[in-house]
Amino acid sequence: MRKYQNISDKLIPILFILAILVVWELVVNLAIVARYILPAPTDIVDALIANGSDIIMHTGVTFFEGMTGLLVAVLLSLLMAIVMDQFPIVKKAIYPVLVISQTVPIIVIAPLLAMWFGFGIAPKIFVVVLVCFFPITVNLIEGLQSVDGELINLVRSMGASKGQIFAKIKFPSALPYFFSGLKIAATYSIMGAVIGEWLGGKAGLGVYMLRARHAFALDLVFASILVIVVLSIILFYGIAGIQRALMPWEKLKEEEE
Amino acid sequence: MNTYQNNCVLKVMGVTKEYNHKNIVEDIDIYLNQGEFVSVLGPSGCGKSTLFNVIAGLLKPEAGKVIVNGTEVTGKTGVVSYMYQKDLLLPWRNVIDNGILPLEIRGIPKKEAREKVKEMLAVFQLEEDGKKYPIQLSGGMKQRVSLLRTTMFSREIMLLDEPFGGLDAITRLKMQEYLLEILKKIKGSVLFITHDIDEAIFLSDRIYIINGSPAHIVEEIAVPVKHASPELMMTSPELRQLRSNILRQL
Repeated sequence: MRKYQNISDKLIPILFILAILVVWELVVNLAIVARYILPAPTDIVDALIANGSDIIMHTGVTFFEGMTGLLVAVLLSLLMAIVMDQFPIVKKAIYPVLVISQTVPIIVIAPLLAMWFGFGIAPKIFVVVLVCFFPITVNLIEGLQSVDGELINLVRSMGASKGQIFAKIKFPSALPYFFSGLKIAATYSIMGAVIGEWLGGKAGLGVYMLRARHAFALDLVFASILVIVVLSIILFYGIAGIQRALMPWEKLKEEEE
Repeated sequence: MNTYQNNCVLKVMGVTKEYNHKNIVEDIDIYLNQGEFVSVLGPSGCGKSTLFNVIAGLLKPEAGKVIVNGTEVTGKTGVVSYMYQKDLLLPWRNVIDNGILPLEIRGIPKKEAREKVKEMLAVFQLEEDGKKYPIQLSGGMKQRVSLLRTTMFSREIMLLDEPFGGLDAITRLKMQEYLLEILKKIKGSVLFITHDIDEAIFLSDRIYIINGSPAHIVEEIAVPVKHASPELMMTSPELRQLRSNILRQL
């Protein structure tokens, strides 16, 4: 029974997406919507193949910005979460600022970054760091603070130092939280890079989409969107895979349930 | 009844601990001899765990001393081992690696620590389970691992804070017998918190009854019949007398 359940769990969303694509294809091919307003899925794939080398080049730039930004965000988040966890006064001071910073629309910040840092790669990475930093930090902090107080007391009674408590208890406990944040951040990272590029630059999927739009090449705009979606999904599942490999006990939990 | 009179390993002298300017426990005197099993019996929430936290060095008492083997250790951690009602096993570590935690904290290399724990698995009837993760174990098995970890820290003085409180009645009876069996093999001294009268009578050599607000020692009782079977517990007039005597104090 379980097996059938699993198969249908996976099959239903796939069938639904296929159905949407079929309807979309029909709507365009039956000329209900004009092709220059909405290209059919097959047009998008054709455009993707025809412009493959261009798109690969721009994707590479966007991917590099996204990954660099994500890495910087992870390092900053680790540092920030550790400091906030060890010194409650720092958390009290910074946490509200973090939340406020998230309410400022990134689309408004990005042009300012271009003014401050020019049109090179730096402001794009900066945007990625801005959007990725928050979900990782907030999740990590929550993970570090949700460790059972009795567990901490237990290892304290064994004479553990603060550093040992952090390394052996708190950090491993917070890992699932960290990965939840990281999965969200990873999907944001590509989007962040594209937003950065959209507001001016020399290369990247954002720049490419902007050019395609100006040329009314909607099939290329959609092709770029497709690449962004696929890239984000790969990142999401890639990180989920790393998580499973690092935390085999989490998998056991699912099997138990 | 006290053949070990001179082998006192733990002495609690006049301990008072307050919280928010109100005494939780007051003027507690307790001693524990080498190889002895002593229970602290009292109603839930009366301050038994606070007392244990003081003995473990996690809390500093307002007055009084904790003495281990003739040395004062008041407010010092890392001297006695402590086991809670919750198993508090680390879900990311298998049974062996959970067992080595106290050794690791003491700075013993992992490999050496693992060997030490492996030697003990058979004693704890966990030979088959060394590689299992806590999620794969039942409640009773988790407490076995937790007990193993506790003894890896120290067997000399073990504080057990209602270790079987979270288990169902049947598992609990089994675990009580299991505990006695283990203690016979490793020869530890135990200070045991419980609010279960039968559990205290079954396991203990002596019982301290703690009650009141602030909590203080109401009475110290020597158990006349050690490890009485459930039938004996019901039929022996001596034990029935003891039970009603204890009940009156609570």
